[in-house]
Amino acid sequence: MSTTHWDPKAGHLLSPDGKWYWDGVTQEWKAATDQAARPRPAPAAPPAKPQPEHGLSSFTGTVRSEDLGFGQPVLVWARWILIGTGLLLSFWSPSDPTTLKVQLAAIVALAFGNFYLHVQLLRGHPALDTVVYGASLADIGVVTALVLVQGGFPSPVFIFYFAAVVGISVAFPTWLTAGYTALAVGVYGVVSLATATSDELPAIFTRLLMITAVAVCGNLFARSEMKRRAEAIRVHDEMLDEIEQKGGIENVQPA
Amino acid sequence: MSSPREVRSVKQAEQEDLFFGQAVILWARWSVIVAGIVIVLWTSNTVDLLTRTMPFFLVLMALNFFLHGRYVMGSPLNRAAVTAASVVDLVLITAILVLWPGAHGLRSDFFVLYFPVVFAFALVFTRQIEVAYTGLAMVAYAAACFLTDPSIITNGIEAKDLVMRLIVIAAMGFLGNYYFRIQRGRLARASAGAKAA
Repeated sequence: MSTTHWDPKAGHLLSPDGKWYWDGVTQEWKAATDQAARPRPAPAAPPAKPQPEHGLSSFTGTVRSEDLGFGQPVLVWARWILIGTGLLLSFWSPSDPTTLKVQLAAIVALAFGNFYLHVQLLRGHPALDTVVYGASLADIGVVTALVLVQGGFPSPVFIFYFAAVVGISVAFPTWLTAGYTALAVGVYGVVSLATATSDELPAIFTRLLMITAVAVCGNLFARSEMKRRAEAIRVHDEMLDEIEQKGGIENVQPA
Repeated sequence: MSSPREVRSVKQAEQEDLFFGQAVILWARWSVIVAGIVIVLWTSNTVDLLTRTMPFFLVLMALNFFLHGRYVMGSPLNRAAVTAASVVDLVLITAILVLWPGAHGLRSDFFVLYFPVVFAFALVFTRQIEVAYTGLAMVAYAAACFLTDPSIITNGIEAKDLVMRLIVIAAMGFLGNYYFRIQRGRLARASAGAKAA
C-alpha cells in the first residue's frame, strides 16, 4: 500500500512525512523545504501591446474568438456558394434590367467582402469578430434584398437563407446564433406575410421552421464538439498527472 | 508543423462521432415531423385527406421515438442502422413531394424538408458517406420533379428553380461535412494535448 499522497495545491507527490516531494522533471525526491523556500517565478511580463496597423489589415486585429476563427472557413464557403449560385442564376433567363442590376450590385459587393475575408483566412489571420458579425448581417441583408426585388414570398431565392444560417450556426455562440436566426426568420416572415395569400401561410410556416431547424442542428453540434474537446483536454491532463505521479513515462505500464 | 497524432483508431473515432452526432440527426428529424404534423392539421379539411397524409409523419415519428429512446438509454444504434434510418427520411420526404395532395414535385413547398436532414447527416458521417447521401437526396428530388412534371426540362424558369434548389441541397451537405472535418482536426489536437485546439 502506498503511503505517499498527492498534494493538489503544489501539484506534486509528497512523502508520508511530508518532508519530501517528487520532482517529475529531474526524476528525484527533493526536500519539501526547498520547494517552499524556492522563490516563485516572476509573473510573465504582459504581452507587448500590438502596434496599431493601418490599411485593410487593421480589420484583423486581436479581438478574435477561437471558435469563431475555426467556424470562419464555413462562413466564407457558405458565402461563396451564395455568390456563385446567385451569379449563375442572375444570368439565367433574367427578368428585367432593374432586377438584374440590383442582383449584380449586391452579389459583387458581397464577393469583394468575402474575397477580403478569405485572403485573411489564407494568411492565417482570421478577421475580427465584429467584422465577421457584420459580414453575416450583410448576408442576411443581401438575401432579403433579393427576395424583396423578386416580389417577396414567390421569390425562389429565399433558400439562400439556409446557406447563410448554416455558417452562422456553427461559427457563432448560441446566443448570437439565436439572435441572427431570429433576425432572418423575423425579416423573412414579415416580408412573406406581407406578400403571400392566406393559402400560402402553411408554406411560410414550413420555411421558417426549417431555417430554425438548421440553426438548431448546427449549433447543437458545435456545442457538443466544444464539450468533447474540453473532455479530451481534461483526460490528457489527467494522464500527464498520472505519469508524473508514477515517476515518469518509463514507469507507466501500458494499458 | 507536424499533424497531430490521432490517439483513437479510425473505427473508434467513427463510433464516437456517430454516438455524439446522432443527436443532431434526431433533432433534424423531429423538426421535419413537427412541420409535417402542423401542416397536416392546419390544411386538412376532410377525414380522407387526414388519413392520406398523416401516415407519412406517423412512420417518421415511430422511427424517431425508437431511435431517440435508444440514444437516451445510452445504447444508440450502429452506423448501418442510422444510415438506413436517414435513407428512410429521404424516401419519405420524396414520397411526400410526389404523393401529397395538391402541388407536386417542383411546385411542392415541402422540398425544404431535405435541408435539415442532409445537413444533420453531413455533420456525423465521413466524407464518402456524406457525398453519397447528399447525391442520393439530389437524385431523389430531381427524379420527383421530373416524374411529376417532365416539362421542366423545356421550361427555363422551372429548370432554373430546380438547379438552384439542388445546389443548396449540395451546399448543405458540403458545408456540414466541411465543419465536421474541421472539428475532427481540433479534437485530434485536443487529444494530443494542444489547449488551443
